[in-house]
Amino acid sequence: MFRNNYDNDSVTFSPQGRIFQIEYAGEAVKQGSVVVGIASKTHVGLFAVKRNAEELSSYQKKLFEIDEHTAIAIAGLTSDARVLSNFMKQQCLGHRLTYGRPIPIHTLVGMIGEKAQINTQVYGKRPYGIGLLVAGVDENGPHLFEFQPSGMTEEMVAFAIGARSQMARTYLERNIDKFADCSKEELVKHGLRALKESLVQDKELTVENTSVGLVGLTEGPKGRPSIEPFKLYDGFEVKTWIESVSESQGGEGGEGGEAEGEGETAAEGMDVDS
Amino acid sequence: MTSIGTGYDLLNSIFSPDGRNFQVEYAVKAVENGGTSIGIRCKDGVVLAVEKIVASKLQKPNANKRIGSVDSHIGAVYSGMIPDGRHFVDRARDEAQSWRQNFKTPIPTADLASRMGGYLQAYTMYGSVRPFGITAIIGGVDTSEETPVDGEVGSGPSVGAGGKVPGKHGGPFLYMIEPSGLYWGYYGAATGKGRQAAKAELEKLDLPAGNITLLEAVKQAARIIYIAHKDNKDKEFELEMTWISTADGPTKGRHVEVPKELREEAERLARAEDESDDEEEEEKKDEDKMED
Repeated sequence: MFRNNYDNDSVTFSPQGRIFQIEYAGEAVKQGSVVVGIASKTHVGLFAVKRNAEELSSYQKKLFEIDEHTAIAIAGLTSDARVLSNFMKQQCLGHRLTYGRPIPIHTLVGMIGEKAQINTQVYGKRPYGIGLLVAGVDENGPHLFEFQPSGMTEEMVAFAIGARSQMARTYLERNIDKFADCSKEELVKHGLRALKESLVQDKELTVENTSVGLVGLTEGPKGRPSIEPFKLYDGFEVKTWIESVSESQGGEGGEGGEAEGEGETAAEGMDVDS
Repeated sequence: MTSIGTGYDLLNSIFSPDGRNFQVEYAVKAVENGGTSIGIRCKDGVVLAVEKIVASKLQKPNANKRIGSVDSHIGAVYSGMIPDGRHFVDRARDEAQSWRQNFKTPIPTADLASRMGGYLQAYTMYGSVRPFGITAIIGGVDTSEETPVDGEVGSGPSVGAGGKVPGKHGGPFLYMIEPSGLYWGYYGAATGKGRQAAKAELEKLDLPAGNITLLEAVKQAARIIYIAHKDNKDKEFELEMTWISTADGPTKGRHVEVPKELREEAERLARAEDESDDEEEEEKKDEDKMED
C-alpha cells in the first residue's frame, strides 16, 4: 500500500491542501453495498442491495426510518451509521417537542453535516466511515440529500453511493429528466434498474437482498397535501417489483458501456462485506 | 518546497526555523482550489457572489446554497473546504446572536470580522486541531441608528476603550478572513481558484472612488465571476449572488438573495460580453493567419 507522512490523522494538511484521512473515509463508503435514491415531485424512493456475512446469516439492514417523514440509506461502516441515525432520531424528536411539527429535511441534514465536520478538524477523532442518502418530505415537498464523511451534504435529484455505484449513477444521469413526473411505481422501477446496473456479474436482485423505501406526499383532507409516512418494503413485498424489472425490458436500462473504467478499481468491484 | 521532509510541516502550530507555520500555508492551498468567491462594497450596499462548480449532473439545480446569512444584515461566503465554511457560518451566527443578547443591538460587521478572525486564529495555535481550509468574505450593512441600552449611564470614557466614538456610524462593510485568522477590510475582495483574474477586474472598477451603484455592482459581480470561470471552462457552474442594501435601498438593510430576474439579467450581460470577447479573439486569429 502506498503511504505518506500526511495521512496519519485528520488534522494534518498535505502540501497540496488535502486531508488524506477524509479521503480514506470516503473509500470506506465505496466498500459498502450500493444504495440508490430518487426524488420525484411527490415522492422519494430509497433502494438498497443488502449483503449477508455468510450463507446462513441474515442480511444487514440498509434502510433506516428516522421519523415519520424521513429515512436514510447507508453505505459504509454500519456501526458509524447507527451513531448518526440515533443522533438524527433524537433531533427529530427534539424538534417535534419544541416546535410541534416535523423537522425540515435541510435542517436535519445540516446538523449531521456540522457534527461530521468536527470529526475532521479535531485530533483524536476520525471522520465517520459512512455515506448516507437522506430522503424525506417537508413543507417544501420531497427532498433527497447525499451525506459524505467530510461533512459535505448536497441536495440531489437522484444519486447512488457504495460499491460500483458509478454504474448506477450513469443510469440515473441518463434518465434524470424522467424522474420529476414519475409515479411511485415508476420510481421503484427506475430505482431497481439503477441498482441492477451496479451488481457484480451473476448476482441478482432477490426478495432476500433487496430493500425499497418510500416516503412522499398524498392528497389529504380538503385537497391539501399531507405526509405519506415512510414505508419500508422487504422480502415478499418487493417480489412483484423485482419481477417487473427482470429480463423483460432489454431496451431501457442500457448496457452502461460508457460507464466502465470510471475510476473504479478492481478492489472496489470485489464483493467485500461492510 | 523547502517544507517537505523537514518535519516542520507535519503538525499544526509548529514554527519552522525561519518562522513559518506550514500547516496554515497548506490550508491556504485548499482555498486556492475552491470555486471563486467575490465581494463588492459600494456606497449603497454590498454584493456577494460565488462560482459554484457543478460536480455532478445529479445535483438539484439551484438548491445547494453557499452564501450564508449570519444575521439579518450580514452575509458570508467562502472558498475552499465547504464543510469548514458551514462550520464558519454556524459559528458566526452564534457570535451574532450572543452579541445581540449582550448588547441589545445587532453586531457591527467589523466586530464580527474581529470575532471570527480570532476564532480562526485559535485553530492555528494547537496541535490538537487543524486550521480552517477556507477564506471567508463577510459583507454587511451596519445601522447608523444609535440604539440606547437599558440602564445606560453617560457616554463612557473620552479616551481608551469603551467610550462613544464621535462621527458617522454604520454603512456598508466588507472583510476577508484567511485561514491564519488574518483579516482586512476591502472595497472589492476575491478568493478561490479564479482570484487573480477577479482581482484584476475589481481593481479596474476603482471602487474606493464610490462611483458604482449597488445595481451596477450586481452586474459587475456576475461579470467578474464569469471571467474568473474562464480558466476552468470545461466545468459547469452555477452563479449564486446575495446583496445587502442600505436601509433606503431595495433590500432595506437585509441580507437576501439577488432576485432571480436581476441575476438572470446580469448573467445574460456577462455571457454576451464573454461571447463577443471570443469573437474578437477569433478575428484576431484570422488576421494573424492572413498575415502569415
